[in-house]
Formats: sequence, structure tokens, C-alpha cells
Amino acid sequence: MENKLFVSSSPHITDKESIPKIMYGVTLSLVPAFIGAIYFFGIQSLWVVLVGVLSAVATEGVIQKLMKKPITITDGSAILTGVLLAFNVPAEVPLWIPAVGSMFAIAVGKIPFGGLGYNPMNPALLGRAFLLASWPTHMTIFKTAPTGGTLSGIDAITNATPLNVYRQAKDAIANQATLPAENVQEAYNAMSQLSDSYWNLFTGKIGGCLGETSVLLLLIGAVYLIYKRYISLKIPLSYIVTVALLTWIFGGTEGLFSGDPIFHVLSGGLMLGAFYMATDMVTSPVTYKGRIYFGIGCGILTVVIRLVGGYPEGVSYSILLMNLTVPLIDRYTKPKIFGEVKQK
Amino acid sequence: MKEILKLGGILMLITAIAGGALSMVNSITKPKIELQKRLALERALLKALPTADSDAIIPVETNGQKYYKGYESPDTTGLVGYAFVAKGKGYSSEIETMVGIDTTGAITGTSILHQVETPGLGTKIEEVTYGEEKPWFQQQFMDRTWEELKLDKDGGDINSITGATISSRAVTSSIREGLKELENELGGFNN
Amino acid sequence: MSLFKEFFKGFYDENPVFRLALGLCPALAVSNSVQNAVGMGAAATFVLLCSNFIVSLIRKGVPKKIRIPIYIVVIATFVTIVDLAMAGFAPDLHKSLGIFVPLIVVNCVILGRAEAFAGKNNVLYSLFDGLGMGIGFTLALTVVGVVRELLGDGKLWGIPIMGANFEPVLLFILPPGAFLTLGLFLGLFNWIDSRMKK
Repeated sequence: MENKLFVSSSPHITDKESIPKIMYGVTLSLVPAFIGAIYFFGIQSLWVVLVGVLSAVATEGVIQKLMKKPITITDGSAILTGVLLAFNVPAEVPLWIPAVGSMFAIAVGKIPFGGLGYNPMNPALLGRAFLLASWPTHMTIFKTAPTGGTLSGIDAITNATPLNVYRQAKDAIANQATLPAENVQEAYNAMSQLSDSYWNLFTGKIGGCLGETSVLLLLIGAVYLIYKRYISLKIPLSYIVTVALLTWIFGGTEGLFSGDPIFHVLSGGLMLGAFYMATDMVTSPVTYKGRIYFGIGCGILTVVIRLVGGYPEGVSYSILLMNLTVPLIDRYTKPKIFGEVKQK
Repeated sequence: MKEILKLGGILMLITAIAGGALSMVNSITKPKIELQKRLALERALLKALPTADSDAIIPVETNGQKYYKGYESPDTTGLVGYAFVAKGKGYSSEIETMVGIDTTGAITGTSILHQVETPGLGTKIEEVTYGEEKPWFQQQFMDRTWEELKLDKDGGDINSITGATISSRAVTSSIREGLKELENELGGFNN
Repeated sequence: MSLFKEFFKGFYDENPVFRLALGLCPALAVSNSVQNAVGMGAAATFVLLCSNFIVSLIRKGVPKKIRIPIYIVVIATFVTIVDLAMAGFAPDLHKSLGIFVPLIVVNCVILGRAEAFAGKNNVLYSLFDGLGMGIGFTLALTVVGVVRELLGDGKLWGIPIMGANFEPVLLFILPPGAFLTLGLFLGLFNWIDSRMKK
């Protein structure tokens, strides 16, 4: 009888979910995009992802062995980091790039802070930022046109990704006074063609990093994640809506409200970033309100980088920067405890 | 009051000694610094106008335009060409290039005077390939007139530096614009 | 207190950069090549030696209330001398160190030693303290510089040594590489310290 009544501290509600289950679930949800990458960019995509995963797992295992800590490589978090990092590099990079990137992600971005659950920034994105700063030529030059399409998604332009074309055209139009007339005309043509490339952008028949191109396949995975409740819609939705609004207002070349929000939402790494990386449980806010602020912040930074920054794409940097504000956001959006009286 | 005067006096004494010491050092180093500046300019001018005599490159200033005239012999006879400084806004700095042309308006040499571009990308405007002597990017300008100075990205045939289009364009178009202005100033070249 | 100890404490036990975390601004900014690191270290060591000497010499005549302005004037004088001399005799180094030569004035290692040591000790000890600290500062900059130049540029002292196939890790000569390298060194030395205490 007395066993029926026992006292313990919270949490009192338990769930079947565990870290490995969630990590493998998220990895599983990336499979459609992975198959898409192999279709679009060829078998080299497979090797890049494989090397990224192996390097991440090996780095974590070796470091934990050396530090005589429990080895946690089977919890799936290193595998997921490796996959996400590989998704963030061009498909035709030399294979040492994903290897070094994963190593950096785990050895600098995760372990020194205390391992899974303590890293302030998304390790995969940190790895990407490291690669982008270190080998910009490998990371920003896309050579392989996707199967059935061109790099830019436009038949007439073959040598740059959509965001690159957009950025060059926008800059050319902004500086038209100093450029020859035919270049300015070309820029206007490119600008209007970009708006006709929605279908290519949606299906993924464009150039870009290995796993970021196909909005359709990423959304299939995202639906699974939302159905399993591994991610909440608050961050991706507020992120994407912010990007759409701001690019509509400021992204055009004929004054305010002349931008093309659909183009901006569909292009670059926004879908991959918004659904898979901004939602990382460790590095995003826990409060509902905080998640919305976090998404809005990511959106503002992304648009600022895309429109005026030094790079054509800014998803990874904006999420990394917002990762660092998470403790602050959580602190100021802590919900009031029921019955709490405001302190004077 | 008395204390303030005393403290002020001590401070003044120290600063006076420091000032005296500095003026002494300055008088020693001033000619040296000017010499170094002149040498740097001279080196750049000789790179731009390799056939000119080092003592016969004369600065000219007309209508706010500044350029140099280079002669073959020290007594300023036998004009071999002109040199000027082209300035263009690069990725992270104003890039200043010393450019030399012969009397027909074709480039005889260039040398970057100032740039703070991204290391490893924009700085390649000064990169010398292993085993070569001169920077490969600037070598492309040799013997060209301003009509032929156009980056491949802008429909010309000068290879831009991979990953550093802005820096490449800054150098190329600043030289192009500078040459155009100089041609107007001189009333055309003899070609 | 021995001269020996005052000289060598700056090398490791009280290394200004790695142990006291002083003078981080130049340690981050000009450690992108070994040449710059050694040049900056030498300039700072010269200023430190001279300022320690003068400060220690005049320490009894300096009223406590205005000691900081006086130290700053002394330091600024020597920094200006270094700046002028470098511009006249080593123009290439002067160009690549740029604004960081005049900024030695506010290098907290130097004012820190004047305030913490030279203002309280005799001339001989102050000279040894200044020299030891200056060498320690130079060593720290050089260590960071070796890592950054080797990985970020594939060179040491401007000489390519990593072979033609090496693709430099650009991050290391960019500013974030400075923070990363310095942070890892600080961590390493703290770790060694905690190991030695056990």
C-alpha cells in the first residue's frame, strides 16, 4: 500500500522519445533531399555525405576516447551533424572539404563546450562557416549543373546560382551610370527571367549546395518532422515570413514594394536552414514567444546579408548569429508563473 | 591651489623633456622617412615606365590632373611615355595603382601602391605565381590601350580573379577610366 | 626576490598574453605572420624596457596623484620614437604593422608593468622585469604567428614551406583565426596548469 504514494521532483510526464530516436528521425527526414542530391548532382553527392558523416563520427569517437569520457557516437547527433554539413557544401568539392569541416564542427563547435546539449551554436553551420572563410573558392564556385537544368535555373544563363545572378544583376542596375548600356540591359533581362524560374527553384533544378536546392524534397521531410512533433512551426514560419516580407519591400530595383518574395523564399539555403538548422533543439529558444523572435531575427539578418552584405547568401551566418542570442531571448521571454505577482 | 601648481609644474616639466627628446629624434628620422617615401614612389614609377631614366620622370599637374612624364635620358629628351595613379574602390579598400603607358597609349607597366583587400582573394591582384617574376593578373594589362581593358565578366577578355571579381574590376576599370581622362587631357595619343 | 626570477617570470608563469591576458589587441591583430609578430614584439619590448627604466628612475619624484599621466607621457614618447625610427629604417614592416605601432601606447602590458612593478622597484629589477616581460610578449605573439602563418598562408617568415599542393586555411590569417588560435592556446596552458597542480 505505501508504495503507491511516492514523491519525486519534476518532470512528471515522461515520453517514449529519446535523443537517438529524434536524431535518427531528423536524419531520416533528410533522405528525400539526399536522394534528390544524388539525382541532381550525381554519385559524387553520396561520397561527400558519406565522408562528412564518417569524419564527424570518427572525430567524436576519437576525442571522447582520448578524454576517457563515455562514447556517444551512437546517439545519432554526430551523424546528423555530418549530414547537415555535407548538405551545405557544393557537390563537386574535393572530399577533404567535408572531412575537415565535420572535424572542425565536432572538435571546435561541440566537444569543447561539453558535448551534445551544451553547444551554443549549431555545429554543422559552424563547420560551414569555417569552410567558407577558409576555402572560399571551393565553397562558392558551383560547376555541376543539375540533371535537367542549369545552375541558375534559367536557360540563357549557365554560369552562376540564382542568388548570384540576382546579386550581380541588382548591383549592375544600382551602378548603371558607370556601366556600358548592354550590361545594364542584360541585368534587367536576368532580373525578369529569375521571376520565371519558380518551378526550377521549387523542384531543385538549380545550382547550389548539395542538399539545399530542392524545396519540394525538403518540405516532404519537414512535414514528417512536424507530424512527429520534432520541430515546431514557429521558427520556420516566422523566419520565412520575415524573409518574404522584407525582400518584397526592399529587394526590388524600382523602389519599395517591388521585390520578388517568392524568388527569395525558394532560393538559396533558406528551406534547409529554416526547417532543419534554425530548429535545432539545443541552439534555439525554448519559449514560444522566443522562437518567434528568433525566427524574425534570422529573417532580418538573412535579408540584410542577401541584399547589402558581402555574400549572395546569408542563411548560415544569420542562424549562427541568432544562436548566440538564444540565452538572452530565453531570459526575457520566460513566461510568468501562474499566480506570480510582478515585482516592484 | 599650491598643490595644483606643483603637480602641473611637474607634468609640464616631463612633457617638455619628452617634447625635446622627440624633436631631436624627428630631426634625425625625417630625412630618412622622406627618402623612403621617395624611393617607394620611384620604384613604382620605374615599374610603370621601365624604359624611362630614373632621374627623368617629371611630375606634371594641369587642370587638377596629376601625371608623370617619363624621358629616355637624364636631360629630359626623348619622351617615352606617361604615368599616373589610378584609384578604384575595391572590396574592402581603395586600390591605388601606378600605371605607365607609352606615347601610343599602350600600357608599359603597372604596380599596386595601396590595397587592403581580403587576404587570399583580393590580394591576388599582386600575386606572383611560383617561378614567375611579375604578378600574373597585372601582366594581362601589358600593351593594351584603354579600349581593350575589360574584364571577362563584363564582356572583355581580361581574366578576373576567381572569387575576387570586385577587386579585379576595381583595378581594371580604374585604369580604364584614368587612361580615358589622360587621353582627353593630352588631346589624344599618336597612334 | 632574485633577478633571475624577475627575468624569467614573464616567459611562462606570468606570460602577459597567455597567463595575464594582457596586450590582447596587438596579439590578435598583428600575429598573422611571424615577421609581423616578431616586429611588434621587438617594438613593444623596446618601449617596455625604456619606460620601465625611466619610470623606475623617477619613481621617487613622481607625485602619486599624477603618476598615470606621467607614465603615459613617458610611454608615448618612446612609442613615437619607435614609430619614427621604423618608418625611416624599416618601411616595409612599418607599412604592414600600420596603426598598431602608435597603438603600443595603450598596450596594457606596458602601463601595467610601469604601475605594478617599475613604480615600486629599483632600476635594475625593473630593467630585468621589462626585458623578461617583453620577451614573453614576443614569444606569445610568435607562437600564435607561427600557427597562423603556417596554416593560413603555408609559409614561415615569408618562405613557402607547405608545398605547392597545400591549400591554405585562410581562416587563420583572417581575424577569426586570431581569436581561435589564441583561445586554444589559453585553453592549452590552463589545462597544463591544472595538470601540474594535481
